[in-house]
Amino acid sequence: MVNPVQDTAIHIDNVCFAYSGKQALHDVSLEIPSHKITAFIGPSGCGKSTLLRCINRINDRIAGARITSGTVRIHEIDIYRKDIDIQELRRRVGMVFQKYNPFAKSIYDNVVFGLKIAGMTKRSELDAAAEAALTGAALWDEVKDRLHSSALGLSGGQQQRLCIARAIANEPDILLMDEPCAALDPLATLKIEELMLELKKKFTIVIVTHNMAQASRCSDRTAFMYLGKLIEYGDTLQIFRNPSDKQTEAYISGAFG
Amino acid sequence: MPHIFHEFDNAIGDLKSHVLQMASLTRQNLERAVQALITRNIDLSRTVIGEDTEVDELEMKIDHLGMEILLRFHPVASDLRLVITSMKMAHNLERISDHAVNIAKRAKKLCKSGDPLETAMIEPLYTKAEHLLRDALLSYTDGNTDLGERLKNGDAELDKAHKEVIALLSSRLETAGSGAENLLHLIFVSRSIERIGDLAVNIGEDAVFMNEARDIRHEHRRNLGEEDRVVEKSEEG
Repeated sequence: MVNPVQDTAIHIDNVCFAYSGKQALHDVSLEIPSHKITAFIGPSGCGKSTLLRCINRINDRIAGARITSGTVRIHEIDIYRKDIDIQELRRRVGMVFQKYNPFAKSIYDNVVFGLKIAGMTKRSELDAAAEAALTGAALWDEVKDRLHSSALGLSGGQQQRLCIARAIANEPDILLMDEPCAALDPLATLKIEELMLELKKKFTIVIVTHNMAQASRCSDRTAFMYLGKLIEYGDTLQIFRNPSDKQTEAYISGAFG
Repeated sequence: MPHIFHEFDNAIGDLKSHVLQMASLTRQNLERAVQALITRNIDLSRTVIGEDTEVDELEMKIDHLGMEILLRFHPVASDLRLVITSMKMAHNLERISDHAVNIAKRAKKLCKSGDPLETAMIEPLYTKAEHLLRDALLSYTDGNTDLGERLKNGDAELDKAHKEVIALLSSRLETAGSGAENLLHLIFVSRSIERIGDLAVNIGEDAVFMNEARDIRHEHRRNLGEEDRVVEKSEEG
């Protein structure tokens, strides 16, 4: 199922994926637009996180896990080509996880970690990048006076925003978010959602969420997956107002199974 | 398909049953109001006026239930459309019942008049409006989209018949002498019945939206070109 959209950032074409021979994605095709938020929804085990993790090849770390057919292209470049620099790919495609995972380092060191690995050494450049990333993650005002304190002393919501700052410090094109608010309270969740709406001006965002209200509040497009297949993909309001597939309607209405 | 959370199904069921109760009461009020007029039954007029309070209370109850469902269950897709349509339907039914009360009040006044009444011409109007209302309610309860879409045609017939009745009653006004007041009452009754037809069309349009997520309101206008709209507006003006 292909839904052509303008300014496509990611082309996923006929992707099949297997974990040690066990098929997890079946012929998935969709086009993800630039500077929009695209939500992947579906019941546990439907393949939405697997699909998300195909976009920065983080699945490569799992033994026996691989794309068995199909292509994933980011700005027309096939990211599964043999000559692709994985480090560069992951710099361009940042990722935020369900459980916030700051390093046991200072707030500042967390943000500039990737930049230092990439070779940035000048203190003034690192400082400017840290401030820009923390501002971008709506965290600067809360931490500017304690940049060298441990990141682990921040609240859960702040730690997740720090992880977002760490991801956007590398100036990626795409930000993947795998249930970024699953471990947060409602107010911290709203702050992340507000932040996402701001971030989409600069980045293409793909989010996996179990929270239907979150998908309908924040995303521009929604993809519903079930049993490793893309069942329906389209404009979020259309999906939540009048889905064309009965399985989609059953899932979003809470009538599934 | 039933929801995993049964309380959601119970709430939806409760909302629908209140809408059906309100629809049934509204139809009964309308029928009694017209019967009161035709049979000069002043007690029946009073019953209609009294029953309207119950219709008003049902409208508020349906609004309350709808809002509660929106708050507690965050319905989407067809569930959301059903809640919105039910609340709009309650509003339209309340207005229909108000028109029934208007008819009953006119009937009460006419009952006191000893003059013969020209109520025969009101009956066919009522029959047309009643059929429209019945079909509108069926389009909601049975999900019959065709019925909902066809209401516009029936309403056009009602409008035509209404205009003829008004023309006839108006032509008699000048020579009616003391009977002019009765003719005016009948003109207002006719006007109420014509409005009930419009409200039935609204219900049918909302039912189509509920069943198929299609908004057919003002379709005629939307299908006209800009030039036609200007012409139509100037004709109305």
